[in-house]
Amino acid sequence: MTLEGVGLPGPERSRGQTRGLWRWLSYAYGALVAAGIGYFLWDVPVQVSDSYGNIVTASQGTLGSLVSSEFHQRAYLRPFLWGLIRVVLDLSRGHYFEWFRGWHIAQIAVLIVLFLRLVRPSTWSGAAAVPIGLAALIGMHTFAGTVEEAFPINTFMTVLICAFAAADLAVSPPRLWKDIAAALLFVFAALTVESGLLVAVVFVAAYLFGAHGVSRAGIGVQVALVAAYFVLRFGILHVGSPGLEERQSGFGFSSLSPGDLVARFGANPLPFYAYNVVSSWLTVFLSEPRGGTWGFTRDLLHGEPSPAAFVNVIASMLGSFVLGLYAWRRRSDWLARRFNRADQLVLLFIVVAAANAVLSYGYTKDVILSPAGAFFAVALAVASQHFLESIGHMPSRQAAAAIAMLAVLSTAWSFRAIGAHLGLRASAATLRGEWAYVDLWLERKSQVPTDPFALALKRRLEDDAVRRHPLRPMLAGEWTQWFPE
Amino acid sequence: MISVSRSSASAIAMAGPAVVATLMIVTFSSLELLGHTAFAVGPFRNVAEAAGMGAASEVLRLLGNGEDPTRVLPIRGEIISSSVRQATALEAAIWSRRRELVELLDRRGAIVDAPTRQHLACLAADLDALDIVEFLSPGRAPGCEHGRALDLVLERTRKLP
Repeated sequence: MTLEGVGLPGPERSRGQTRGLWRWLSYAYGALVAAGIGYFLWDVPVQVSDSYGNIVTASQGTLGSLVSSEFHQRAYLRPFLWGLIRVVLDLSRGHYFEWFRGWHIAQIAVLIVLFLRLVRPSTWSGAAAVPIGLAALIGMHTFAGTVEEAFPINTFMTVLICAFAAADLAVSPPRLWKDIAAALLFVFAALTVESGLLVAVVFVAAYLFGAHGVSRAGIGVQVALVAAYFVLRFGILHVGSPGLEERQSGFGFSSLSPGDLVARFGANPLPFYAYNVVSSWLTVFLSEPRGGTWGFTRDLLHGEPSPAAFVNVIASMLGSFVLGLYAWRRRSDWLARRFNRADQLVLLFIVVAAANAVLSYGYTKDVILSPAGAFFAVALAVASQHFLESIGHMPSRQAAAAIAMLAVLSTAWSFRAIGAHLGLRASAATLRGEWAYVDLWLERKSQVPTDPFALALKRRLEDDAVRRHPLRPMLAGEWTQWFPE
Repeated sequence: MISVSRSSASAIAMAGPAVVATLMIVTFSSLELLGHTAFAVGPFRNVAEAAGMGAASEVLRLLGNGEDPTRVLPIRGEIISSSVRQATALEAAIWSRRRELVELLDRRGAIVDAPTRQHLACLAADLDALDIVEFLSPGRAPGCEHGRALDLVLERTRKLP
């Protein structure tokens, strides 16, 4: 049986069965990917920095008092992040590692299901595009921060799920309940972490591109909620936003310390903000710069680029080429405002990438761009499917070149996906090391716990990291340098 | 026919590498669950190996299991060097050049007396691990005969059959 044979037009029932077969194959493959990354994620202990202290903080008072107090913080407005930590903490009943890490793995599974719902593989070409799409989802450099760290719930992963759920609602048939769900989704995402604002961008952009799963009234509510968010944040709560002095940032071929940033851009930060926006946008398409630093270009100029960075850039450039080709081929329909589902997903990516870059104006960091990276994977899957289908109509030489390019594209993303797993293994070793040195670390930060809960929590998490889930054998060898972590 | 083989080839070119990568990850995970980690150094055979690789959490775990950080133990050549295959966990920790690991072992009472501390400080000096020298012998030179502590450790390996 040939691939076309499976998808040949025939009786409606047979066609339905074929669609079902490709869909189930794709979901089975998605389950394998989720199992693989879930296995590596299960090895990562709850971290000391950004997690231990957060759990202690989240344990104080009631859930209501915790959430309401977070409305009055400076620079950040993330009350639902803390609420979620508290809910999982209470549910865990002392099994912290199992619940927080189990939550993280469940999030990955949900994300992969939403990815498959969006790309909706129902033909041989659609199913063939799923592996490369999932490799891009997992292997994208913006994804690493959603799995290698947690607070102890990774809010960036939460926002990825919210953004995919928003797209799923938007590109499906309209229902009244979807308007309500869309509003709730936005409120939850925006009050979890700032990049949650992208949920509204997804709804509005999808509507503009003809995806009317959420009604015009629902879109009006989204716009009103965004306005309300800014009024609440800046006009009522005076939360503000992080300043230049918060952290160091990449600039050019190196990075600048907070002091350098203030000295250089304190009087007029607009050029720095513009640099961040452009850098953030470019990194989604090229994997360069990273965190504002043009490291690969610098190393290339010095004649010593790392193999892993080379793989990263090749994968992203070829992926962006496939996306660009898709846009070029569809341009006349787009100009006539005729959009199919694949068009909507590719255009959603373009808008999310731009909006995500703008949100990164203050400082640029890979993980902040994780929504754009995730939509890149969706867009790459649908554009690759389109490219694959077009090969049948190409002259022989052109087809041979196209097939070779697809093989390089897929291989490069596969290296990145494997690298993501290696990154998790390396991260697990580093975080275990942090637990081994936890007493030294707490002493140096003058944060030695005295509270009974904090002490018991420290003992339990240390025991989890060192003894109950000990370090797995360390992967080593020259070969690892080819896999971007 | 050409079209069919072309679409098959293009589908395989696009999906094949990614599917192979996923199968490799699943196979690796399954093998590890069965007790075999491919492409790995380890598992560490004793606390000295863990210290040599700077794996602090494993050092703690193995100490908790009752291993003695002052005992000379066999170390595989790939951990530190083929010329260092017999060392204590304390000596191996100095080779890992992680001052915090030495401090961790010290806090656990592994540096039992002044001669041991002196030997370790001299070994650190021979290896140019100056931050460890400063930790073991704060504010003063440890007063070592250059190369003697290092030679003492290397000699153990030389004596191996």
